[in-house]
Amino acid sequence: MSLKSYSRGRAVHVMLVYTGGCNGCDIEIVNCILSPKFDAEQYKVFLTWNPREADVLVVTGPVTKHNEQPLREIYKAIPEPKAVVAAGACALMGGVYKNCYGDIPSEEIAGPVDKIIPVDAKVPGCAVRPQDIVAGLVSALPLLLNAD
Amino acid sequence: MDDKEENRTVIEAEVPMGTVHPGALEPYRLRLFVEDEIVRDAEMTVGVNHRGVERIMEGLPVEKANSLTEKICGICSNIHIWNSCRVAEIALGIEIPERAIYIRIIMGELERLHSHLLYLAHGCEVLGHETFSMRLFYIRETVMDLLGMIGGNRVQYGSAVLGGVRPRCELDQTRIQKLTEGMDLIEEKLTAFADRFVSDPMVMSRITGVGVTSAEDALRLACSGPTLRATGVKSDLRTEMFEYDPFEFDVITHEDGDVKSQLLMRVFENFEAIKIIRQAIRDLPEGPITNRSWEMKDVPITKSYVEAPRGTLYHSYALEDGRVRNCVIRTPSMANIGAMQYSAIGHHITDAQLCIVQCDPCFTCTDRAIQIIKI
Repeated sequence: MSLKSYSRGRAVHVMLVYTGGCNGCDIEIVNCILSPKFDAEQYKVFLTWNPREADVLVVTGPVTKHNEQPLREIYKAIPEPKAVVAAGACALMGGVYKNCYGDIPSEEIAGPVDKIIPVDAKVPGCAVRPQDIVAGLVSALPLLLNAD
Repeated sequence: MDDKEENRTVIEAEVPMGTVHPGALEPYRLRLFVEDEIVRDAEMTVGVNHRGVERIMEGLPVEKANSLTEKICGICSNIHIWNSCRVAEIALGIEIPERAIYIRIIMGELERLHSHLLYLAHGCEVLGHETFSMRLFYIRETVMDLLGMIGGNRVQYGSAVLGGVRPRCELDQTRIQKLTEGMDLIEEKLTAFADRFVSDPMVMSRITGVGVTSAEDALRLACSGPTLRATGVKSDLRTEMFEYDPFEFDVITHEDGDVKSQLLMRVFENFEAIKIIRQAIRDLPEGPITNRSWEMKDVPITKSYVEAPRGTLYHSYALEDGRVRNCVIRTPSMANIGAMQYSAIGHHITDAQLCIVQCDPCFTCTDRAIQIIKI
């Protein structure tokens, strides 16, 4: 067992990226980790805003054109092995914004997320329920823990 | 601000933040111009989140367009759909049953509770006091459960439909009982929190006198909602909305305009929201919850203003063959961006994030299509 997987067994750091969603999913995710009712922190899941110390990237929102490049860069900055969780209807298939401009190619939306970065776990819902987020995070964990 | 034109100075040290930054939750760009770690000027740019809900609404049947408006914001989703329905109801002269108005107000005030509690939790997190933050998230969970019980979803509950409220949102005896218990619980917990919060000398010394906006400046910057009320200006659209006529509540104002008065004003506003919900439950009239006897006709652009948790919310559209045309939405955070930039000036750079958070920003709402026309 490497030092990294040893330390990761003790604490998983989750980074949350807003890419132009409606704030609903984002707050449910923050809520699910910080709020004492769900409290993922008691299982050593921590929220971080620094990609270099993150293990799991949670992406919400339909990925607007402006957010596409930052998202790629954040994904590159996270050290291997990493897992990506796409949360919410917008991140999965564009939500109500998918066919925003009809047949004309959209000027605003670059998403959904799996067009831009590889996605390991998908969490449905509009907005996502905290229970589903915990389940999604747990399903992404074997990728990290069995990496070496 | 006026003497800046005369003594124009160039500040070379710039601290750019964003659009994605560990200090900021939502994507926006902030440029701080600093001299000796004191912020001399701040510039905030939004537009990263623009998705164009108005464009999708264009040409949709009005019922569908209404349900789209709640995807604008996940925090104040109910007020968006309420105001969008209100536009069509004013335009077509639809009479809304009394009971539906009361249920809409209960949902609106529950939403105000959860929005303000989220604001306080976020503010405490930025202050670095995570225990307070978790405590507030715990109080907020009660509100979210109540919203989930009434609307069926924790975030996007969409209670209002054209002519009333959705049948799912009907309040029966069990739900009223749960609402009453929930309000007692929230009041008890919030009082305990407020006592602990104001008696904490560390927190109080951190937030007193930081990010001051005076009443004149707030009016000049055209702030709205709680941000304006915390500077001492008594301005609340709820006093002018006919829906709120039967209710008795106080418009809370604080004098100082700093982070302390912003935070405490929202705590007291929560108690007012609880008061309104209690009155609504007590006087809940009997009768139908939807009025389906209305006719569609073509109407010119109609406007509606309501008091959202963050300030004045504006919706307007015209109706043509039952379809939405020329939709314009103006969200409250747009008005408060000036205060966010202004209140950071003159303070230490570490207070900049606090100064922005004190104005309750919601940039996902704010990124609406804006066309600046040269006159």
